[in-house]
Amino acid sequence: MSAEVKPTRANKPFVFNAENEAKFQKLLTRYPDTAALNLPGLWLIQQQDGWISYEAMEYLAERINIPVTQVYEVATFYTMYNLQPVGKYHFQVCRTLSCELRGGEEILAHLTKKLGIKPGETSKDGRYTLTKVECLGSCGSGPMFQLNDDYHEWLTVEKVDEILAKLP
Amino acid sequence: MAVQEVKVLSAKYGIKDSRTLAVARAHGGYSQIEKAFSMEPAQIVEMVKASGLRGRGGAGFPTGMKWSFLPKGLDKPTYLCINSDESEPATFKDRQIIENDPHMLIEGIIITCWAINSHDAYIYIRGEFVRQAEMLNTAIDEAYAAGLLGEKACGKDFRVDITVHRGAGAYVCGEETALIESIEGKKGQPRSKPPFPAVVGLFQCPTIINNVQTIASVPYIIEHGAEGYRKFGTEKSAGTFLFGISGHVNKPGVYETELGVSMKGFIEDLAGGVWKNRKLKAVIPGGSSTPIMTPKEVETCMLDYESIVEHGSMLGSGGIVVLDETVCMVKSLKNLLYFYHHESCGQCTPCREGTGWIYKIVSNIEAGKGKMSDLDLLLELADNMEGKTVCVLSGAAAMPTRSYIQKFRHEFEEHIKLGKCPFAG
Amino acid sequence: MSKLITMNVDGQELQVEEGKNLIDALSAVGIHIPHFCYHPALGFDGNCRMCLVEVEGARGPQIACNTPVKEGMKVSLSSESSMNLRRKVLEFELINHPLDCPICDQAGECKLQDYYMEAGLSKSRMEVEKVAKEKNLDFGCGVVHDQERCVLCARCVRFLRKYTKTAELGIVNRCDKAKVTTFPEKPINNRYALNVVDICPVGAMTSRDFRFKQRVWFMSSEKSVCHGCAKGCSIYVDHNQEKYKAERVYRFRPRENAQVNGHFMCDAGRLSYRKENENRLTTAKASERFEAVDIATSQAVALLSAAKGKAVFIVSPSWTTEQMAVAKSLATHYDGYLSGYADGYIVKGDGDDLLLKEDKAANRASLELLGISTDRQKLISNLKTAEVVVVLNNDLSLTASDKREFEALFAGKQVIFVGSHRIALADSAQTVIPCASYTEYAGVVVNVDSILQEVTCAIEKECFARRPEQVMAALSGNAIKAELGAVRQQLSASVPALAQVDWNAIPENGLNLKGGAQ
Repeated sequence: MSAEVKPTRANKPFVFNAENEAKFQKLLTRYPDTAALNLPGLWLIQQQDGWISYEAMEYLAERINIPVTQVYEVATFYTMYNLQPVGKYHFQVCRTLSCELRGGEEILAHLTKKLGIKPGETSKDGRYTLTKVECLGSCGSGPMFQLNDDYHEWLTVEKVDEILAKLP
Repeated sequence: MAVQEVKVLSAKYGIKDSRTLAVARAHGGYSQIEKAFSMEPAQIVEMVKASGLRGRGGAGFPTGMKWSFLPKGLDKPTYLCINSDESEPATFKDRQIIENDPHMLIEGIIITCWAINSHDAYIYIRGEFVRQAEMLNTAIDEAYAAGLLGEKACGKDFRVDITVHRGAGAYVCGEETALIESIEGKKGQPRSKPPFPAVVGLFQCPTIINNVQTIASVPYIIEHGAEGYRKFGTEKSAGTFLFGISGHVNKPGVYETELGVSMKGFIEDLAGGVWKNRKLKAVIPGGSSTPIMTPKEVETCMLDYESIVEHGSMLGSGGIVVLDETVCMVKSLKNLLYFYHHESCGQCTPCREGTGWIYKIVSNIEAGKGKMSDLDLLLELADNMEGKTVCVLSGAAAMPTRSYIQKFRHEFEEHIKLGKCPFAG
Repeated sequence: MSKLITMNVDGQELQVEEGKNLIDALSAVGIHIPHFCYHPALGFDGNCRMCLVEVEGARGPQIACNTPVKEGMKVSLSSESSMNLRRKVLEFELINHPLDCPICDQAGECKLQDYYMEAGLSKSRMEVEKVAKEKNLDFGCGVVHDQERCVLCARCVRFLRKYTKTAELGIVNRCDKAKVTTFPEKPINNRYALNVVDICPVGAMTSRDFRFKQRVWFMSSEKSVCHGCAKGCSIYVDHNQEKYKAERVYRFRPRENAQVNGHFMCDAGRLSYRKENENRLTTAKASERFEAVDIATSQAVALLSAAKGKAVFIVSPSWTTEQMAVAKSLATHYDGYLSGYADGYIVKGDGDDLLLKEDKAANRASLELLGISTDRQKLISNLKTAEVVVVLNNDLSLTASDKREFEALFAGKQVIFVGSHRIALADSAQTVIPCASYTEYAGVVVNVDSILQEVTCAIEKECFARRPEQVMAALSGNAIKAELGAVRQQLSASVPALAQVDWNAIPENGLNLKGGAQ
């Protein structure tokens, strides 16, 4: 819901790789209606490519037999689907109340400075993306951010520096 | 007497590898399956009813009663959805169950499936809980491997399949019909009721949706009976609750207590009191949508459904936020309203348009650009939004708005008079 | 009709149909509950909240679209608190609306505008920045979208999912950033697209064809029947005469008719109004020269009189039943052969399960009712011995093979063409007499399902105002009856299926000749 992103072409067709095809086939057995694979399917795409392209949306719509507009609706309704490539390291900083009370703004400001990008932006070298997000269910251990799939909690400016220093 | 933790749901917390099946079993995991399967499903429903267990997701609806709404004799499958969306700001309790004792949840699911004659359970977990979803899947895989799930769950001629379904970033999916829509592959937009999910739910079939903590409480009730569960808590608020406390306390975290303990005691005895020796300014008692409470109200309030209502708020999801004396109330309301605006599903007019409008007004006030008449407008808009929409999200934005202005009006007025935030440097 | 129950609206006892929701049940007795998202053909959605009403005993206001009426139910619609409910929803609806009524095509038939007037809202209390969205989006099929005017009722989205099942539209994003859109490069592409313009309760969906052409309040509207195919969808013919200009049709709109077209019509039929304004035949011809209509008519009478027993008449399968009866009289008068051959009107594969029919003739059913032969061979054999051929607006050039074949058959004969449009015959016939088209005369047509409906005269054209039946009467030297009432009497007497028709009280929704009135 940050900056609006329209479906972007990758200019190459999308197909599930063998591993995701297997996962997709297993999921098919778990739901009485293929449309239910819309969210799981988008997750598989994002795991495979890191983002969800125009072509991938068309591909999924066809695989699960729903209109591509329904894929598009879902891909834009849920905030975690990336409709454009994101950086190798995606920092998602919680901005909601419990984290704000414990210094979340300071963490965000520090990250903005250190990464040289504003929330919603990706660094030119494609290494970092910084996003402000809503409550991540980590309220008792804030301030925090999610770095790719992992939560980093009880953050301080020093701890952020440590995390950044360790990134390969 | 100091408020103390009890260990019903959190019994295995702190035990090494408590997530694994072996450790869970060594500490009583899955010990109630046999007893449950020996009971008639209706007996379990009655037992859960008698236990007084209420939904731990926020609304506090009696669980056994919900189960009894399922129509009988329909030629359709019944689905069980476990609500692990846990998106209400300040709520982080279900996560503890998943991280520490997922097998207790799975045991609860198997028993519930038997009780409501369901063979397919979907655990809807918020998308951000990537690791927690992995933990759940690991535990589920273990349970399948051990024959606890599958065609013959626990050796009984009764199929139980559990599928973890990940959300992808939408608070509103915690609302049960939005959750259903989301599993069905659609936007998480709540459905108009009736029909209620117990009659027409997931895939047009009867569906029960329960919170993680609710279902995790079921094995204990089977083991100790309704009375055994009722020994915790009060007459109307039976049992224990995993309260999450965050904000300005010394020891934020999740603590399990019986219902009905002192709120003030909870904050001081378990969470270590307000941090930095500061004074208490306000408390949000049950997730960010519940009306904010003043220190005076907190003084006499107990942590149970009824007492909090008597003190002008709600137990909600048990997510307590403590605000110390340095907090700018206008800014913290602005923070919450941004959230509700951001999370409005965009379906109903009053919510779609109203959440944005009130957020912008409060932002203006916070920036020193407000007018006195804005305060009454905000109160009126809160009324115009609440109760006028399909789901309660608009109410979740309206309640803090109203309570903040009613209880801390002077701070809003001060911003307007000064033309700036008195707390900002 | 199901059982009636008694309920109370604003203190007034009413009998309404059981099982319906409040909007439909009350609409049937003339009470309108404001709403945007509900549409009887699309079901309830519950998103707009405009239909919130107070129901005695209910917990809080209820949406009328999802509240079934019950015996003894008490509903308040006009109380101050009930009005307030609507005012508040409307205020939310309007805060991000551009309020551009002066340049909006919907003005005059906009629900937002209507309800605003009703609610008596005054000054805007919205002092914060509006949400900006996109305007003038080309959605394809002539549908133009303005996201800022949209109230997100999702009628268009639901129509394309439930009715055409093509699903080209969706609502993306959430909160007040939600908007109706297509998937990029996948525009609306179906044959019913323009219905989204009709069902849009506001000015968010406009028709490229109609945009900026007319303010709706200047137009008059007649109830009629589309002549695009054998389905005969009920329509409104919207027309107007601008200063110093000829009267013209500006659009066709579907007219709700449960036994014919429901709420909708196809785009081809809808846009066929253009044919009423374009390529019209306005000049008469005699001996291959332009002449006055009367001269051409006299010439035709002379030709026909000289060829008694050797004339073939080919009548249009889209003319009214009355006109066909007059054609029959005309043929009889000259002892000629009458054919209603119209195979060329059938476009194979062009029908669907919704409304469109392969048969593009509007009144083929009446040919059968009147016993007019449509046999190709009979027509051909009669043509071979004929000296004069009178083509009564039947377009034999619709298929290339027919065109070739009939051109050959017509060679060396006197061809008289009576027609409304400049089709090929208007050039090749030696005698040409213009006549009115179906928005310019009255009568009845019978559709593919045997539903008889009335065609009404919307436009009186001056220079070629002669109706087909008038032209035919003149061709008989005024020997046959062509006056509507007389023809109808004759029809009732001679056609059993029409015996019971009360010509002065044909229901708006038509008369099912197989199953009686509905």
